[in-house]
Amino acid sequence: MPLDTSTYNLALLRVDGRRWNELRRVHAQIRTQAAADGSSYLEMGHTKVMCVVTGPSEPGPRRGGVAGGGSGGAGAGGAGGKAEVVVGIVIAGFSSVDRKRHGRGDKRTLELASTVANALAASLHTHLFPHSQINVSLHVLSQDGSLLAALINAATLACVDAGIPMTDYVAACTAGSTSTYAANDEGADPLLDLNHQEEQELPGLTVATLGESDRVAVLVCESRVQVSRLEGMLAVGVDGCKQMREILDRVVRDKGRRMIQEGTVEKGVGLDDMDVD
Amino acid sequence: MATAERSVVLPGETIDPSLIPSDPKKALRLGPGLRHIPPTDIVPTVAGQLVTNPVKNSMWIEYNSNRYIPSQNDIVLAQVLRSATDFYLCSLSPHTAPATLPHLAFESATKKTRPILSPGQLVYARVALANRHMDPELECVSASTGKADGLGPITGPGCAFDVSLGFARRLLMARSREDGGVGVLEMLGGEEGGGLAFETAVGRNGKVWVGSESARTVVLVGRALQETDRRGLGIEGQRRLVKKLVKEMR
Amino acid sequence: MPREAEPSLNEKQFVIQALQENLRLDGRELDQYRPLELTFGDQYGVADVTLGNTRILAKATAEVTVPYADRPLDGIFTIATELSPMTSPAFEVNRPTETEVLLSRLLEKTVRRSGALDTESLCLVAGQKCWSVRVDVHALSHDGNLTDAACLAVVAALRHFRKPDTSMEGGRLTVYTPAEREPVPLSWLHSPFCVTWSFFGDEGELAVLDATWLEEQVRVGSCTISLNKHGEICQIAKLGGTPVDAVALLQCTNVALTKVKEFSDLVDQKLAEDLKRRDKGGFMAELRAENDR
Repeated sequence: MPLDTSTYNLALLRVDGRRWNELRRVHAQIRTQAAADGSSYLEMGHTKVMCVVTGPSEPGPRRGGVAGGGSGGAGAGGAGGKAEVVVGIVIAGFSSVDRKRHGRGDKRTLELASTVANALAASLHTHLFPHSQINVSLHVLSQDGSLLAALINAATLACVDAGIPMTDYVAACTAGSTSTYAANDEGADPLLDLNHQEEQELPGLTVATLGESDRVAVLVCESRVQVSRLEGMLAVGVDGCKQMREILDRVVRDKGRRMIQEGTVEKGVGLDDMDVD
Repeated sequence: MATAERSVVLPGETIDPSLIPSDPKKALRLGPGLRHIPPTDIVPTVAGQLVTNPVKNSMWIEYNSNRYIPSQNDIVLAQVLRSATDFYLCSLSPHTAPATLPHLAFESATKKTRPILSPGQLVYARVALANRHMDPELECVSASTGKADGLGPITGPGCAFDVSLGFARRLLMARSREDGGVGVLEMLGGEEGGGLAFETAVGRNGKVWVGSESARTVVLVGRALQETDRRGLGIEGQRRLVKKLVKEMR
Repeated sequence: MPREAEPSLNEKQFVIQALQENLRLDGRELDQYRPLELTFGDQYGVADVTLGNTRILAKATAEVTVPYADRPLDGIFTIATELSPMTSPAFEVNRPTETEVLLSRLLEKTVRRSGALDTESLCLVAGQKCWSVRVDVHALSHDGNLTDAACLAVVAALRHFRKPDTSMEGGRLTVYTPAEREPVPLSWLHSPFCVTWSFFGDEGELAVLDATWLEEQVRVGSCTISLNKHGEICQIAKLGGTPVDAVALLQCTNVALTKVKEFSDLVDQKLAEDLKRRDKGGFMAELRAENDR
C-alpha cells in the first residue's frame, strides 16, 4: 500500500504517530551474552539487532569469504601494525515480511558489513593491537527500516562492552524528506528516523557521526533526491545522531551503575564519572 | 659505450663469433642475459641488444623488461617488509620472493648498534648473493672495506618513483648523458632547472628515490624522470621537458 | 591470494606531506581530474574510458528473454563487474574482493536503481517476452578511481547502444536484423555520474578528487557522490573511514555537481561526434528503411 504523506503537513504527524523530529523508541542492552567478550541487543522501533564481539584476539584461520571484512586505514591486519575489524552480518529469514533467503555472498549484506567495519575501525584504537583481529558478528532479528543505523549502534555498544579503547561512540540514525523525489516539492520538510514504509517511499539517508561532533563517519544515500534537499536532511540526521549518542551513553552508564550496585565491579576511581546516585 | 657494436639478439640465437670480444690476456666476462654452455657456446637468454666492451673483454645484453631479476652487485632500492630473527625481509619488486638483509650487514653494525628498520622503510642496498634457487641476499656495507659507501636506510624528506628497468640502468651508467642518453638530472640541477637542490638514489629494480627539502622539487624531479622514461625522450626533448616543468611549477 | 603490494613508508609520508602543501605527485590541482578520454568501438554499445593510467571497457548487449515472474511488465537490466588478475595480481576470478563488491553495488545504485534506463520500455509481451540488457564492465588497468571511470563507461556504453528494432503484428513478435531496420536506442531517462572524493589528514580535512592508486592506498576515507546534471543526487556512499565535517561534505557535493556537468557535456559531445562519423551515407540508408515499411 503506498504511503500517504499528504497528512504530514496538516496533522504534523507521521504514519506511526511521531512528529517529524522524533526518534522511535530505542531500547538497548549490553552484556547480553555471557560467553562473548562484548555483546549488545538493540531495538529501534521494530528493527531488532543483536551483536557479539570477540577480540582483540590472534587472527584465526580465515573463513573463506564469510565475513565481509573491512579493514581500518591503510595497514590492515596481517603485517600491518593495526588490528583488523572483521564484521559478519546474518540477516534472519524471518526478519522481514517477505521471507527471503539471503545468501552468504549477498552483495548488499557484504556492503553493510564493510561499512560497519570501516566505521568502527576509524573510531577504535586499532593501533594498540597489532597482529590481531576484532570479530564483530551481527544478527538481524527483525527489520523495520534504518537497518544500517541499528547495526552501527549495536556494534558500537558491543565494542564498548568488550572494553576496546575507542575515540567516541559512533552513533547513527536515518533522515528523510516528506515528499517523494518526483514531487519535486521545494517546501518538503526533513524527517528523522524512517521506518520501513517511509524508507520505501521517501528519499532518505543514513548518517553516523563520531560522538557529539559534527563529523560524519558514514553517509549513505540510496535514493534519488534533489541536491538542495541534502543540507536539511543532513542537518536533521546529524542532530538525530547526537540524540542517539545520548541514548547509547545512558545505556552504558546504567549498566555500569547496576554492576557497581550488584558488586560485580569494585567501587573505584571512576565512580564519580558514573553518576551513581 | 666503448663499442658501437650493437645488434639485436633473441633467446637461443647463436651469436656471431666476430662480435665476441677476444682479448688474449683477460678472461671473457658475461653480463646479464647471457649464458655459457660449456665448452664454447654462448647463448642469449633474453631478447635485447647485445653490447660488448673490448677493453674490459666483457659482453652483456641490454633489455627493458618489467620484471626485475636480481643479479650480484646490483644496487637496488629495497622495501623492508618485516624483521625476522637475524635479518630483514625486503621486497625488491611486488609479488616476487622477498630478499633477505642480515641485521649485521650495515656499516659498523654489531648486535647492539644495528639500525632498527620499520616495515615499509626503503633501504639502498647491494645484492650480495643472487643464486637461482635461493632468495637473494642484500647488504648495505662493502664486504671488503667495511664502509657503507652511500648505502643504508633512506631517511629524510623525499619520495620513490617507479621507472622502467632499462631507464634505471641508463641512469646508473657512469656517464649517463653520453652513454645512456639521460641528461635530465644534470639539467634539473643545472641552468635549465634553475639549479634545483636534490639528491637521488637509483635502484636497478626500477625505483628512483628523490630527496629534497622542498616537496615541490621532489615532485618536479619525479615527474621529469617518469615523463622522460615513458615518452622515451632524447637529450633535446628532455631539455624542453625540464624547461616546461620548471615553468609550470613556479 | 597475493596481497596488494603496499607503498613504502617514504612514499606514504611524502604523499601526505605534499598534499598538505597542495601538491600532488603528478602535478595536478587537488580538485583536478586526470586527462579523461572516451572512445566508442565500431560496434554499438562499446565504450572505452581512459582516466590517466586507469582504463575501463564497458560493453552493452541485449537479448530477448522471459521477464521475472514478479515483474511481468519490466525488462531485465544487469550490470556485471569483473576485476580480473589482468588488472592486478590481487584480484582473482570468481572470488570477488571487497573492492569489486563495492564497485558493483555503487554502479547498481547509481545507474540501475536511480532509474536511468526505463526498464518498462524493454517489455515486449507482458509476462512473456522482454529485452534483457546487460552491461559488462572490464577493468583493463587499475591506477585508482575505478568507480568514476567505470560509471562513465557504463553510461556512455548504454547511451551509445542500439537494440534491434521489433514489431508486434497479430500476436507475432518480429525482431529485425540491422540490415532490415536500423537498430533503435534505449529509452534513456537521465545520465548519472560518480565523483569520488578522497580524504587525507588526521581529521580528513584534505579533500582530493580522482585519487591515483598510490593516493588511494594512503587515504583515510572516501566519499562517492553520484549526481546527474539536473542536480539530483542518485546515491551517496561514504562507507566508514575517518569522520569528515558535515559542512565539508556539503561543499564536496557542490563541487561534484560542476564536475558531473562537465562529464555530461563530454559524453554528449563524444556521442554527437560518433554519430557524425557513422552517418556517412546515412541518409541513403534511412531512405531505404523508409521504403521497407
